[in-house]
Amino acid sequence: MIRALSIILCLTLAPLPAAAHKVIASAFPSGDAIEGEVGFSSGDMAANLLVEVFDGAGTKLGEAMTDADGFFTYVPTQPVRHIFRADLGAGHVAEFEMAAEEVAAILGNPATGAAPAPTEPAATAPLAGLSDADRAAIAAIMRDEMRPLRREVAAYREHHDIQTVLGGIGYIAGLFGLGFYFAARRRLAG
Amino acid sequence: MHIVDGALANEVVIGGAALAAGGIALGLRRLPLEKIPAAGVLSASFFVASLIHVPIGPSSVHLIMNGLAGLILGWAAFPALFVGLLLQAVFFGFGGLTVLGVNTVNIALPAVIVYYVCRRGVTRGTPLVAAIWAGFGGALAIALTTALVGLSLMLSGDAFIPAAKLVFFAHIPVMVIEGLLSAAAIYLAAQVKPDLFDAMKGAPS
Repeated sequence: MIRALSIILCLTLAPLPAAAHKVIASAFPSGDAIEGEVGFSSGDMAANLLVEVFDGAGTKLGEAMTDADGFFTYVPTQPVRHIFRADLGAGHVAEFEMAAEEVAAILGNPATGAAPAPTEPAATAPLAGLSDADRAAIAAIMRDEMRPLRREVAAYREHHDIQTVLGGIGYIAGLFGLGFYFAARRRLAG
Repeated sequence: MHIVDGALANEVVIGGAALAAGGIALGLRRLPLEKIPAAGVLSASFFVASLIHVPIGPSSVHLIMNGLAGLILGWAAFPALFVGLLLQAVFFGFGGLTVLGVNTVNIALPAVIVYYVCRRGVTRGTPLVAAIWAGFGGALAIALTTALVGLSLMLSGDAFIPAAKLVFFAHIPVMVIEGLLSAAAIYLAAQVKPDLFDAMKGAPS
């Protein structure tokens, strides 16, 4: 019975998509380009790696190379869904995407930095005196400031604390205890 | 060591799942009542071992401990390591649920091979001989696992030799550490409680 149960368990769980990866990767708008990063959850970034870009139908749009910090930039030309795929070797593949609306927003305002297209008038008012170059510089500074934060958040999300480990051990003890119980009951009955 | 979702071709994933299901069924058949607690303990140690990272250059690899599980459990290593892998996938995001079958085969099959290769040496010698065989088994399990990972990648289109080489060389320190750990564990067991191996054989269910 345990045998049948575990086979059923493994069959029913198999088609579910995994919730998390050991490879972390993301893409976000950055001025008139898409910026992204690829790396491992341990904090090691994937340096000098080829990132291939596909549209929703699987047609290859182009490719980009990551720098020493695992960052890459890609300038989109079409407002379609962009899928990024990077092979980190040894069975580690990162696949992430950016929705068509976000790409369209990037194409819509090439000079105004990372802000989305429909900007509030109140928010832009203090910036009215700034030239496009100043805005681009501010946007670049913002991105530089955000980068370590974003990495820290990603690292924190992949962090395993003692509760998780103890919880896992608890599951194992429970599962094998259950198996022991059934086996013992079968032996006592037989 | 854990292959993630999306890295393998569908045929490899399905084939791995079928092989793993067979191995688990066979393992549960060879898991007598007396061995269940040992299987639980080894499953838990496998689950935790993956959190012990060995830094190597820019990257790091983690311990696997499948050789020790194989030496003690034999075919029952399949269900024990499957449970560990399942919980690692759910809790830590190591590997993934779709490739669980492939990962189970890659890690549990070497354990079973080590059981058949080293079992005799471990059970029928002095503690020192047993420790040497156990050390060899611990290292062999990792080497076989890297070969299987390379094979899975090759069947999915990667070139086998570079992929396998990369994985193999990255795991040489792990082989050394696991060989020493397995040898120490078996040496201790052989010294302190030499009847452990006979007791754990149990009655075939």
